Amino acid sequence: MILYACALGLCLTAALVALLPARAVTVAAEVITALAGVVAAVAGARATLGHGWSAWLPDLLPLGGLRLALDPLGGLFTAITGAVTVCAAIHGIGSGAARATRAVIPLFVAALLLVPAADSVSTFLFGWELMAMTSLLLVAAEHRDRPSVGKAALWYAVMTHLGLVTIMCGLCYLAAGATGDGFDQLRAAELSPAARDVIFLATLAGFAAKAGIVPLHVWLPRAYPAAPGHVSPLMSGAMVNMGVYGVVRVGLDLLRGGPVWWWWIVLALGALSALYGVLHAAMATDLKRLLGYSSTENMGLVLIGVGAAGFFAADGAGPLAALALTAALLHVVNHAAFKTLLFQAAGSVQRATGTRDLDALGGLRTRMPYTTALFAVGALCASALPPGNGFVSEWLLLQSLIHALPASGVAGAVTMPLAVGAIALTAGLAVATFVKAFGVGFLARPRSPAAERAAESPRTAICGTALAAAACLLLALDPALVLPALTAAVTRVIPVGRPVTGEVTLRLSAITGSISPVLIALALAGAVAAVLSLVRAVATRRVRRPARLWDCGAGPVSARMEYTATSFAEPLQRVFVDALQPESAIDVTVVKESAYLVQRVRFRARVPDRVERLLYEPVLAAAVRLGSQARRLADGSVHRYLSYGFYALTGVLIVLAVIS
Amino acid sequence: MAEPPMERAKSQGMLELAGSVQIRHVDAGSCNGCEVEIASVFGPVYDAERYGARLVASPRHADALLVTGPVTRNMEMALRRTYEAVPEPRMVIALGDCARDCGVFAGAYGVVGAVGDVVPVDVEVTGCPPPPEAIIEALRGMTGR
Repeated sequence: MILYACALGLCLTAALVALLPARAVTVAAEVITALAGVVAAVAGARATLGHGWSAWLPDLLPLGGLRLALDPLGGLFTAITGAVTVCAAIHGIGSGAARATRAVIPLFVAALLLVPAADSVSTFLFGWELMAMTSLLLVAAEHRDRPSVGKAALWYAVMTHLGLVTIMCGLCYLAAGATGDGFDQLRAAELSPAARDVIFLATLAGFAAKAGIVPLHVWLPRAYPAAPGHVSPLMSGAMVNMGVYGVVRVGLDLLRGGPVWWWWIVLALGALSALYGVLHAAMATDLKRLLGYSSTENMGLVLIGVGAAGFFAADGAGPLAALALTAALLHVVNHAAFKTLLFQAAGSVQRATGTRDLDALGGLRTRMPYTTALFAVGALCASALPPGNGFVSEWLLLQSLIHALPASGVAGAVTMPLAVGAIALTAGLAVATFVKAFGVGFLARPRSPAAERAAESPRTAICGTALAAAACLLLALDPALVLPALTAAVTRVIPVGRPVTGEVTLRLSAITGSISPVLIALALAGAVAAVLSLVRAVATRRVRRPARLWDCGAGPVSARMEYTATSFAEPLQRVFVDALQPESAIDVTVVKESAYLVQRVRFRARVPDRVERLLYEPVLAAAVRLGSQARRLADGSVHRYLSYGFYALTGVLIVLAVIS
Repeated sequence: MAEPPMERAKSQGMLELAGSVQIRHVDAGSCNGCEVEIASVFGPVYDAERYGARLVASPRHADALLVTGPVTRNMEMALRRTYEAVPEPRMVIALGDCARDCGVFAGAYGVVGAVGDVVPVDVEVTGCPPPPEAIIEALRGMTGR
């Protein structure tokens, strides 16, 4: 409790300090924010280990007052937020951000700490709105420098506030059926099934929008590239988690689970997001856009786990549900770790080269060796391959889904194999995505003068990124470290025994299965060493002669001969052409004298977001049409406006007369 | 039926190629007469592959270069680099009169010289263009089959 209050206080201090004019003090703001992150992480960890607390501050907010409580579930998300904040704040030292941006970041962190600790509807909505507003300010921070930022901020503002509206409707409806707006009272509320359905669906829509779940993901690939370098790790590592937190808190805790079809929807949304997100990540050429779509993918995987957990819980298979939820929460932790790392590395790259376009990057290995190595760690973890941390959580998730067959009925027998297929396809495409991001972005030769001039980021930025990388490696080798916290959070909503036990080897208690990440890593390292020594032994028996790189005799190898991100993704684009529907246009300009002499050929290709095209553009176009038609009502005539008022009043009076 | 194996011409400093020669063809400025003959050598009628000679797509895979035409200025560097790219031990076949001594193109402004002026030549095949039989004979001399 004291620690948590300290963290909030430190955030406010940092915000105030950042506003002070002196230059040394602005570095202090980041240091204080990092300190707040440490304290918050400890506070969250303590809450997960059984030191929960609750507090009611009736005078801080009008009406309900500020009602806070940190239980293991909220503690887990607080700890994640704290850890991400530490990395992001250290990375942000000396980033040269505007003073206002520096002041808003600690407030954003405070809002992120407030949401999982909220214990009443009003506090939750207050924290949620504060989170939305501060993040919106941060997204829009660089709107003067880049024109695309303003548009991204508009998208984000609309999406996040529509989400807020649905959450508010859902939670207020829930509070109306209960004796008060405290979460304890909501848990005890007796509601009709139809009301519960409405509440769940409304809140799910809002939380899905925050988590970047398809089809509400459209803000995400826009907002991340728009946000300043050290803000996107906070948004991707900490903020999107709040969507998952909301679904778990409302669906599994406040509403105490629900019918199977709720969770079927969650699972389907998760699978759709995972596939759609990774497909677009595989096509993306903007590094941060790629990472944004990858967030959609990973949140989709998490929702598959949450959906499966609710599904099993509704089916009465408690241990399996606990396992699925553990996998989902572990993936939240893992995703926060590697996405923080990747976004920080991407921020460093953008700062060093001024571009995020993978087709213009390359050759950073020699110019930014530390950032390259750190990004490699993140890419390995994000592609869910064995020595990375993403592998462990996806393995747990797959185990819980595969072993569902005997437990669940026909619906499970149909759903679970499909979910397993979706996860498998997602994992495969994620590998291609991150091979592309790392190989094209960092290896080979620089493709532009900007990439050629890149210089390594300042030491603090490397430190912040390295911290996230260390967390990734720790989680990869010893996930048992966070197991007690996860178990506590899971048993908070699904009260069965420990779903996963063990120190070095993780053992699943509900089903027969075990995994030992350390031994896998050791075996892999041994295999790599054996292959390398074998190759060396065989190769040194022959005479070696240095020779030029074979360039078909055509001349020096240039960066134009390299794979680009677009060309690397082209085969995948062909395979998934029906799902992606890429667009290309060829403009041929001929010289004036003859139609047969070509002056210039311009080729443009893009992979549009089809959800945006099919779902959002018609709605936006209709809104614009409606607006321009409504403009006719206001033609500037005062008489007309006066008559509007008169007729409206008369109409209301007539309606009232008829009703009463 | 294949004819009895030919005597392998070891006197020219031939390499032990164990009956198999992988060949990369380089057109250094040929009129393409030689190429027509090479095509028929590796076609179904003469079928040089049954004697162990095979055309490959990269000098990295090759034991020998099969060079046609006089070496033109534009191809000089490419020929040198291709020769550099062939793993050792390597051989060079100068195919046709142009490759041997520039033929009718000797002294032309775009010609650097014969193949032997640019890279060391191990085997020469005469003719303008050399008939497939002559090419087969030269190849069999290398493969020993």
